[in-house]
Amino acid sequence: MAKEKERAHNNKLKNKPILVITYTMVFVFVAMIGYVIYFMEFKSETVIANSRNIRQDNFAEDVEKGDIITSDGVVIATSNTDEEGNTTRSYPYANTFAHVTGYDKYGKSGIELEGNFYMLRSHINIFEKVIKGLSEEKNRGDNVITTVDYDLQTAAYNAMGYCEGAVIAIEPSSGKIKVMLSKPDYNPGEIDYLWSYLQTEEGASSTILLNRATQGLYAPGSTFKVLTLLEYIREYPNNYENYSYDCYASEIFSGVDIHCNDDTSHYTESLKDSLAYSCNVSFANVGTYLDYAKFRTSMDGLLFNSELPYDGETNMSSFDIDANSRPDELPQTVIGQGNTQITPLHNAMIMSAIANGGVLMEPYLIERVENDDGGNVKKFKSKSYGELMTSDEAEILTDYMKAVCDYGTAASYFSGSSYDVAGKTGTAEYDNEGNCNSWFVGFSNPDNPDLVVCVVVEDYNTFGVSGTWVAKQIFDAYYSK
Amino acid sequence: MLNIICEVSKYLIIIFMVLYTVKCFSILGSKDDKDKRKQLNKQIVYVFVIHFLCYLTMYLREGSLKLLIFYGVQIFVAVLYMVLFHSIYKESSRLLTNNTAFLLLIGYTMLTRLDFNLAIKQFIFATAALTITAFIPYIMSRWRNLRNMGVFYGIAGIVLLLTVFIPGLGYENYGSRNWIRIGSLSLQPMEFVKILFVFFVACMLVKANTFMDIMANAVISAIFMLVLVLEKDLGAAVIFYITYVCMVYLATSRPIFLIGGIGLGVGAVVMAATLFKDTLFYHVMVRVEAWKDPFKFIDTGGYQVSQSLFAIGTGGYMGTGLYMGKADYIPVSESDFIFSAICEEMGVVFGLCLILMMLSVYISFANIAMKVRQPFYKYAAFGYSILFIIQTLLNLGGVTKFIPSTGVTLPLVSYGVSSVTSTLVIFAIIQGVYVIHNKEVIKHEKEKERIRKEQAAINARAGVYGQGKGASPQQ
Repeated sequence: MAKEKERAHNNKLKNKPILVITYTMVFVFVAMIGYVIYFMEFKSETVIANSRNIRQDNFAEDVEKGDIITSDGVVIATSNTDEEGNTTRSYPYANTFAHVTGYDKYGKSGIELEGNFYMLRSHINIFEKVIKGLSEEKNRGDNVITTVDYDLQTAAYNAMGYCEGAVIAIEPSSGKIKVMLSKPDYNPGEIDYLWSYLQTEEGASSTILLNRATQGLYAPGSTFKVLTLLEYIREYPNNYENYSYDCYASEIFSGVDIHCNDDTSHYTESLKDSLAYSCNVSFANVGTYLDYAKFRTSMDGLLFNSELPYDGETNMSSFDIDANSRPDELPQTVIGQGNTQITPLHNAMIMSAIANGGVLMEPYLIERVENDDGGNVKKFKSKSYGELMTSDEAEILTDYMKAVCDYGTAASYFSGSSYDVAGKTGTAEYDNEGNCNSWFVGFSNPDNPDLVVCVVVEDYNTFGVSGTWVAKQIFDAYYSK
Repeated sequence: MLNIICEVSKYLIIIFMVLYTVKCFSILGSKDDKDKRKQLNKQIVYVFVIHFLCYLTMYLREGSLKLLIFYGVQIFVAVLYMVLFHSIYKESSRLLTNNTAFLLLIGYTMLTRLDFNLAIKQFIFATAALTITAFIPYIMSRWRNLRNMGVFYGIAGIVLLLTVFIPGLGYENYGSRNWIRIGSLSLQPMEFVKILFVFFVACMLVKANTFMDIMANAVISAIFMLVLVLEKDLGAAVIFYITYVCMVYLATSRPIFLIGGIGLGVGAVVMAATLFKDTLFYHVMVRVEAWKDPFKFIDTGGYQVSQSLFAIGTGGYMGTGLYMGKADYIPVSESDFIFSAICEEMGVVFGLCLILMMLSVYISFANIAMKVRQPFYKYAAFGYSILFIIQTLLNLGGVTKFIPSTGVTLPLVSYGVSSVTSTLVIFAIIQGVYVIHNKEVIKHEKEKERIRKEQAAINARAGVYGQGKGASPQQ
């Protein structure tokens, strides 16, 4: 019997390796289960939002698409399901948010496209889901909360009136897009009529669906002088402050005749004054000191000729000076004419980097996703793209642009406001008959920037609405909140 | 109405799956025979309910009569198996028969959903295998010579592995040359070689007395793995290697063999990955890259895993319900990626239960290995449990992106003639080991009883009382 006990004991000893391996396996499997749960809880939403996931198309069968709501809580797109189960999409503010929400048919656009996946998912509580599933009712989809602000967007919409053009406003510290407006616009709820109009010969050339704020390519005009200035500071960091120039309304550079707006002479002026008065001749003169290759590198670093870090559809801005450029290409380019083209979004992004100490926060339009009861589903965090310029450079540019609004070209608009503005006006000719677009790009409260606004109003000569005036309406709305 | 029944079924299936899984573990821990029997019977009821609801849902969605006929045949065979196997082998593990039947039924269900013809084929081969393997425990308990045939296992195993290199017979599939074709039947010799391999290693370890013996054993085992690497069947090589290391560790009881084995394995993989990066290991590197970020390589190496994760994520915890998802869009969803298909349509909760169930099967295997005293059976049983669990881990981990995917099947659930047959052989061998062990225990009990009686009789005759406990103290 002792032998038997001993044998049992031996067996126990022999079994130790089996126990060790078994505990290891249990540990590995528990880890795997933990991993799967982790995946479901934190990763799966991002994974299945992938456009290559063919399963998304099926969601609309069980879910009524959720609402789009502004950051201040106003519903700007919603679904209504009739008794027969047909869902229609409606937009309470008609045209005001057209290019923010986009349309929900014919391939979709705007948030209706970007946020489609989220709005077709339902995170209502499981009991409601089960009950709805049993009664064959559609679940209420999650709501997308956009970064766009109702009051600011409305102010911009009213200010633009009948003019064509684009407005974009960004919170520089986060990249949140507060205003996104493009004119002409449309009522997304009546996309069927519009679509059939666009199929006609007359409608085929219409650009009504184009979101000018992100896709419109414009000559930057005088707003580009800020970038010329940046390049000059970069190449002459020690003596740019000593710059001085005598402006007599016009001068010829490399065979190109450059003259100031309204043929005004600015006489002796510093670099700061040149920017404040937007002196073309002085800036063409600055251009003669610039190194072409370095200029190109700087502009590429500011995201010209590359895709912008933005999720929606954009066009690429272009800047074509390089080491092989001829000298006569430069005088027009440095004052923002020439072949340079920029989207309002891009212009606002550069300004937003200046306002944020040189660091660009990637612009975004969807702030968070909530279920129908207001519970959080997903929050989108601000992402830093990186430094477009040093904080010293940003500080100098801010200081110079303050002059524009204190005593320069924008002073008449902002004098007497309760807030300070740093910015740059621009008038960009787009033909040889003097027709031009009016720009403003800048930000309020330069010491601790609140809001970057970029406006381009087309056909300034016809309507007489300037970009700066529109920008002021938005700043006013912001500070009267 | 139809929707209501299907929706309710979906949740009921999940609830019963959870109950079944809980029973798997509570039976493992149960000591009371009567209570155990009760729980085992409950498990059978759950299997019936789940299987019935699955086919009910599929019938309602598809409306084809052949589903009902197939259902009837399946449940008939399952009942026959569970009842007959245990009445023939009274000493067999009922928990294991339950799990075997249930895993097969889950496989049939999902295969019916994905491809009816494959399901039929799988059912026919699995039923044939069940019938044949039912004899294995009988053969094992009769024929005790199994432990003396080490050389045979070794040679037969290597020869069988090499058949894939015979032109006209062997062919390459999914980047690995590990298939042979006989008529219209495609087989993976590796699936059968692994059975021989474990027997071979067990024989050698029983006989090994010196370090040299172990080394000789190691060299021959290394040949197996080398052939597998040449076939570019890395998943199998990993399974063989880990099984080998664990068995040596068990035989020697020395942690150094485990630690050294793992170290050597990792070293070999790292060295091979640097030396043969562009040749033998090229498709391994592709898989590792695809594992790091499958969505970046969604059009090439990451396609399968991306689609698998889409399916699992979109299905969610509760699943879409059978036929309501797009499980047929997952690449190789009928074999390697069947787990993703199950998760998508039957729910991640069901999937997690399946993982736990697989783990419980391993634990019951390991339990049997621990009870057995005879070294040969002990090593063999442990070897097979490692084979089973590592293969399961490679499959489940691969499709969920827990580890890089290696392209192995999920035992008994995935479609695959060789895979399902060889797994059933392994399950039958484990049952055989258990039967032999239990018979011995019973014999032993009887022996003990006899000795006790004799002792009592002697004591009574000698007139000495109170020393009935037996054993005379000898120091």
